[in-house]
Amino acid sequence: MAATATVTTSQVYIDVIEDVIVKVRDEFINNAGPGEEVLKELQALWESKMIQAGVLVAPIERSSGTKTNPGAVHDLNVPYEGNEEYETPTAEMLFPPTPLQTPMQTPLPGTVDNSMYNIPTGSSDYTSSGNDADVKGGQPSPYVQQLPPSPWMNQRPSLDVNVAYDDGRDEAGRGTSNQPLTQEFFKAPMGKRKRDDLASQYNNADGYIPQQDGAGDSASGSFEVEVCGGRISINAHHTTSKEKIPADLGRPTSRIPQLDGPIPFDDDMLSTPNIYNYEGVLSEDYNIANTPAPPEIPASTPALVAQNEAANDNEDDDDDDEPLNENDDDDDFDDLDQGEDQDTHHLVLAQFDKVTRTKSRWKCTLKDGIMHINNKDILFNKATGEFDF
Amino acid sequence: MATFELYRRSTIGMCLTETLDEMVQNGTLSPELAIQVLVQFDKSMAEALETQVKSKVSIKGHLHTYRFCDNVWTFMLQDALIKTDDCQENVGRVKIVACDSKLLTQ
Repeated sequence: MAATATVTTSQVYIDVIEDVIVKVRDEFINNAGPGEEVLKELQALWESKMIQAGVLVAPIERSSGTKTNPGAVHDLNVPYEGNEEYETPTAEMLFPPTPLQTPMQTPLPGTVDNSMYNIPTGSSDYTSSGNDADVKGGQPSPYVQQLPPSPWMNQRPSLDVNVAYDDGRDEAGRGTSNQPLTQEFFKAPMGKRKRDDLASQYNNADGYIPQQDGAGDSASGSFEVEVCGGRISINAHHTTSKEKIPADLGRPTSRIPQLDGPIPFDDDMLSTPNIYNYEGVLSEDYNIANTPAPPEIPASTPALVAQNEAANDNEDDDDDDEPLNENDDDDDFDDLDQGEDQDTHHLVLAQFDKVTRTKSRWKCTLKDGIMHINNKDILFNKATGEFDF
Repeated sequence: MATFELYRRSTIGMCLTETLDEMVQNGTLSPELAIQVLVQFDKSMAEALETQVKSKVSIKGHLHTYRFCDNVWTFMLQDALIKTDDCQENVGRVKIVACDSKLLTQ
């Protein structure tokens, strides 16, 4: 019998879905709506979710006989082969790692940004100086100039992303997630693109990434962007340490340099800045030069850190002082509600016709309801309830 | 015409909401259109329940909490016995949310 009920319920759901789709079809097709394809996708996704939830029986018999095309679901895992222009929707569909795009959007700064980045030495040396690692002069690679903002638009972002990310991973050895964060913050950074190019360039290279900001670090091939970003945040947080720990990607540190802020578990949270100060001497210049740079970025990261610290402190205090009586109001019922997951959260959604009470005896008449009980969906047209309070 | 949004909390409603959310996130669908779809769902669901479903159930249990606010009754039952035409179910806790049926037929 349960099977019968399920099938009936399932059939009702199918009818509802059909009805909705039919009625919204106009909206989708007319008035420059998204179109029939999107509508099909909506239906397919909706049905697949319901099948997953177990409320819809798999072989769907439709009165209309239209078959949904599961393939209509957009697979974001494949690079977007855009037949359209790479507009926002496309871009979004393309990648979560928007960070790559974000930096790309900023026009590759020619010398201007570079100077901002504290390239005291190399501001004028941006001409192609070859791919040599700039051990000495930190001459910015020519890529900076060469890459106009357009290329990233023209290219398949996936290409760039992959390259960039690979490089990032290899070199930074840090979580990719960090990069995006910082990247987003730094609109200014001369350029992810630059980095990408550099990265690609140096991919085959000796693993050494030339610094464009002029710091003559040993094997500190950190991306400028990251460096700057990290530095900025760190600066905001601490006074820049003059330590010379280069932001060496190849550095086998257990600590992963964070671009967006200090590492909580480390005492020396702000030691991360060290990464960015790959230049002892010039770091000072850097800082000064970069002063304009650390805009809102530091604002956000320090806040986060502050919160973390504060939170930690508070917790300690609370534990030490006295139990906060937080649990006083807990009702076992409430707890249960919070702890319940979908399966155990029995729910009846309906309309009521009448609710009455006599002393502690409640009676109600309900209609047109959906019940989700014991992981089953039951629909009813009428219901009577008798409860004792 | 106003609709009861309570059916959006059902399994089918949640599936639709999730689907629409994903599509809006992707940019495939505009939020306004998503809301229109949900409103249409409210109407279709209410109509289907009224016309296509014919079963009757009875619910008995201990009333732990009752609330009436904004013309919506919310009951929390404990140790409820729910009988349908075909079967009966025992549930430890169940929440009943009911809107005023008269509001729809204005």
